[in-house]
Amino acid sequence: MSTIAADARLSSRALARAQSAVRLRHYLSKTGTVVLSLAIIVWSIAPIYNMVLISLEPEGDVFTDHIWPRVPSVESFWGVLTQGHWYLEHFWRQFANSLYIGAMVTFFALLIGSLTSFAIGRMRIRHGWLVSNAALLTYVIPASFLAIPFYRIMQNYGLSNNPWSVIAALVAFATPYAIFVFQEYGRSIPIEVDESARIDGASPPQIYLRIYLPLMAPALVAVGTYALLLAWNEYLYQFLLLSSKSSMTVPVALAQFLSSDQSPWNYMMATAIIYAMPPVAIYYAFRRRMAAGLTMGGVKG
Amino acid sequence: MGHLTRRSVLRGSLVLGAASVLPVPRVARAAPTTASVWFAQGFVQDEDVALRKAVADYEKASSNKIELSIIPFAPERQKIISALTSGVVPDVLDSNPNEILQIYAWQDRWVDVGDVVESQKGQFSETAIESSTAYNNVTKKRAIYGVPLRAAVVPCHIWRPLVEKAGFKIEDIPKTWNAYFDFFKKVQDGLRKQGERKVYGMGFQVTANGVDPYNLFIAFLVAYGGQGIVTKDGKLHLDDPKVKEAAIKAAAYLGGAYRDGYVPPSAINWNDADDNNAFHAKLMVMDVDGTLSTEVAMKEKHPEWYFKDMVTHGVPGYPTDNSGKPVPAVVGVTQGLIPKGAKNVTVAKEFLKYFIQPKVLSEFVELGLGRWLPVMPAAAKSPFWQDPKDPHLKGYVQMGLLGPTLPDYYVYNLAMAEVRTQHVWSMAMIDVAKDGAKPEVAVDKAFKRIEEIFAKYKAA
Amino acid sequence: MNSVSAVDVSRPALHRRTLSRSLRGSLKGGEYTWALAFVVPYLVVFVTFVAYPVVYGLWMGSDASLYRELFADPIYQSTVVNTILYLALGVNVKMFLALLLSGFFMRPGRWMKALLLIFVLPWAVPQISTFISIHWMLNGEWGFLNNVLYKFFHIEGPSWLNDRWMALGAVIVSHIWKWTPFWTLILLAGRMAIPLEIRDTARVDGATGLKGFVHITFPLLANLYLICTLLSTIFLLGDFNAVNFVSGGGPANSTHVLATLGIRDAFEIAHPRLGVAAVMSALPLVIPLVIVLMRKLRTTEVQL
Repeated sequence: MSTIAADARLSSRALARAQSAVRLRHYLSKTGTVVLSLAIIVWSIAPIYNMVLISLEPEGDVFTDHIWPRVPSVESFWGVLTQGHWYLEHFWRQFANSLYIGAMVTFFALLIGSLTSFAIGRMRIRHGWLVSNAALLTYVIPASFLAIPFYRIMQNYGLSNNPWSVIAALVAFATPYAIFVFQEYGRSIPIEVDESARIDGASPPQIYLRIYLPLMAPALVAVGTYALLLAWNEYLYQFLLLSSKSSMTVPVALAQFLSSDQSPWNYMMATAIIYAMPPVAIYYAFRRRMAAGLTMGGVKG
Repeated sequence: MGHLTRRSVLRGSLVLGAASVLPVPRVARAAPTTASVWFAQGFVQDEDVALRKAVADYEKASSNKIELSIIPFAPERQKIISALTSGVVPDVLDSNPNEILQIYAWQDRWVDVGDVVESQKGQFSETAIESSTAYNNVTKKRAIYGVPLRAAVVPCHIWRPLVEKAGFKIEDIPKTWNAYFDFFKKVQDGLRKQGERKVYGMGFQVTANGVDPYNLFIAFLVAYGGQGIVTKDGKLHLDDPKVKEAAIKAAAYLGGAYRDGYVPPSAINWNDADDNNAFHAKLMVMDVDGTLSTEVAMKEKHPEWYFKDMVTHGVPGYPTDNSGKPVPAVVGVTQGLIPKGAKNVTVAKEFLKYFIQPKVLSEFVELGLGRWLPVMPAAAKSPFWQDPKDPHLKGYVQMGLLGPTLPDYYVYNLAMAEVRTQHVWSMAMIDVAKDGAKPEVAVDKAFKRIEEIFAKYKAA
Repeated sequence: MNSVSAVDVSRPALHRRTLSRSLRGSLKGGEYTWALAFVVPYLVVFVTFVAYPVVYGLWMGSDASLYRELFADPIYQSTVVNTILYLALGVNVKMFLALLLSGFFMRPGRWMKALLLIFVLPWAVPQISTFISIHWMLNGEWGFLNNVLYKFFHIEGPSWLNDRWMALGAVIVSHIWKWTPFWTLILLAGRMAIPLEIRDTARVDGATGLKGFVHITFPLLANLYLICTLLSTIFLLGDFNAVNFVSGGGPANSTHVLATLGIRDAFEIAHPRLGVAAVMSALPLVIPLVIVLMRKLRTTEVQL
């Protein structure tokens, strides 16, 4: 290899100089790495630490200048879990609503997205590109812009205060991205696989179920996680479309705390932390598959 | 694999398509004797309990059912606007915020409820009745569109311990307007000398969020003689020198207090609940805030605050104007409204008639711990309100019901409601407070904007 | 039409140019029906929940007098400035950081993997929780940031959210905080998709470090970077949560962006059509972006 030849060409003094230079670069790079890593950790964790800090403080202490809880108490978490405060009366119901909406959005985004990209990308339906471009049009007007017309239309469909209105909105916004990722990922699966199955007499649904879906598994996980996080992160539509305490989701209930004048802030942060756990858990459970899904041809330039 | 026909496949795909759109929505088909009622959630649980009791009592007394939705007050505002925009409305809703009565009456969106109010004629205070009327730009007439349920005024709330810590006594507080508020500047100076870095004399809501800044400014405007800014006939009088002078004085005082450091700097970002929270955290000695929510919120958890440490200056206590004359209190009245297009107007009216019976209405207000005021002067004489052991209720009800009161200006001209939502007065205060603008300049700017807004609502 | 029968690919393609054939393309009979069936669900979703609201929204915002009223609102101009700043800084700083960090995270090692997990936390935790936390952190009187500054450095921190530019900066930083991990992951995946041979050859030829990046990596990533930037711009244009929870639009309505202004007009001023007009006024910016994006995505596949 040329490096060996390069080495051979250098004089020994130059070699020594080069070696110490390399050592210096390594040292700098190592320190640089450590510094950067520390910076990343502090930067990423700070607001989350603040959440934990407030949630562990007993009620009166929230407005003080502590930087760690002097008398840490988990009463706020206990209060949330036992629905022990007036504002938290329906917490478990609302948490269930969030879970339900998240699960449904994920399921339908995956189902509809994969079916569509199968038809466009594998079955190569004519004018399929029209559909994927139309899908992209969904993003022309960003989600929050459509909120007001959407509200009105949901009234017309009779879906007011119904979680399905939120599910419909979020599925409509998540599916184009799903189609995009599935298309890209699907490019790395040779079409011959489908063809040979066809020759063996498989029908399209069978190809879809037995061949396409299993091969797409990493992409499915990646998109599913994205859809779930989208639903979990979303606030505006849930706020506009769900208004009764029993149909609300946790973010909407959380925001209510903000406009109350006897809010137990520590309870609120405890709620926020408990709410944050499912998506974090799911992300960490699926992180490797997610990376694979995004990598293998998923986002080829 | 069975024999696939085109029809079966198409059917299958339609099912798939339909399934993707989702399910049979729950059809809310109201039985003929059910009415849906929306009401804002209270700030304390007792208010909701009181409302539920009144509703339950009505259901027992009549044979009708009420579908009650108690909605947190901020989402309820959005819901109401969305409902009125889309036309899918409940049978009864509360005026959240109060001026939606006037705003939507202009567009002919409410059912005339004169007959309901008539059933308790003579019981209501004059201000309450005035507040329930509005001008309808479609019928070109004024009519009664709201049923008064409860009211609120804007008293001053003070921490006794902080005043005493600075070496003063509550009794030392002067009686006239400027001197009254200047007193708290002295309290702050006194506290600073003792090393209290984080306490401020006054919690003026110098912010552009919520309704508090408007209430604050109007209180000062009225106290300085600018009462005639909008007259009963709906005419705007910005050219009245008294009004202009009052506005300038108000902007100067309020903005100046912030600029000079007597108001917590974070006030500029406050929404309607933040000032209450700040008050509870003892960030300021005094605040000017609507209703007794500041006190009532603490009654359960910190009774010693409620009974000893917090002082409410309704009447007596609330300052007179600088020449010693009492300042009329501006009253906001929560009304029951029936939107046009409601499915069950009959039951709605019946329910409201039931609700405003003096016994029922007083119980509703009293069970809510007195955060809100009654709208019937007779109710104010009850032992609840006149309880000598309660330090807040008597003064509150005297200020808001028995003493001289005024309806809010949007009752005369709904354009004032938009002045409020556009936070025009807030900008005047903030210009003086943060940008060091001269009060005259800030008020000129505000007046210009107010004229633009009023121009939009010229009765065609 | 022919009855549906099992597809027989081995049959030679005798195409009679009927209209139905050309529509179906290369699919025959039953397959075509299946393909249709698979596409129909999305089409239904699209028409019912995207096309209709868009058209309705356009109708709601179609009154010219709305725009006159909108431009007369003193807040509108500062809102537009805020939106542009938010976009320019938010997108570019974030994508630049994502690019750099994606290179950083390419390094091997368990420590890197652990660090990546921590780095992704801001994205994984719901923004309502974190943005409210940031809002409180920045409180001038008792916020965490000022407490830390005072305890460790004896500096009295300012009221971060009291000044328009600091508040806007806080919003931008919050957005970057939340979304950089996501785009870093995407760019990281893009980097890893660069075949190993190319990377190795580059190293052998001495094109390492900065040179390697400029001459080898970036050109290959360029298309992806551009697509991500465009997508991010479009998402950011509609971003409501950062402004709403971090600065609340304050102080004094000076940090609104078009999305939050629309909601304020719709629900606080009780003028929904004005709210729609506010967000529609961004269309002249959005539509060209989306057209470019669509073109880019179709001509994608810079095959390596």
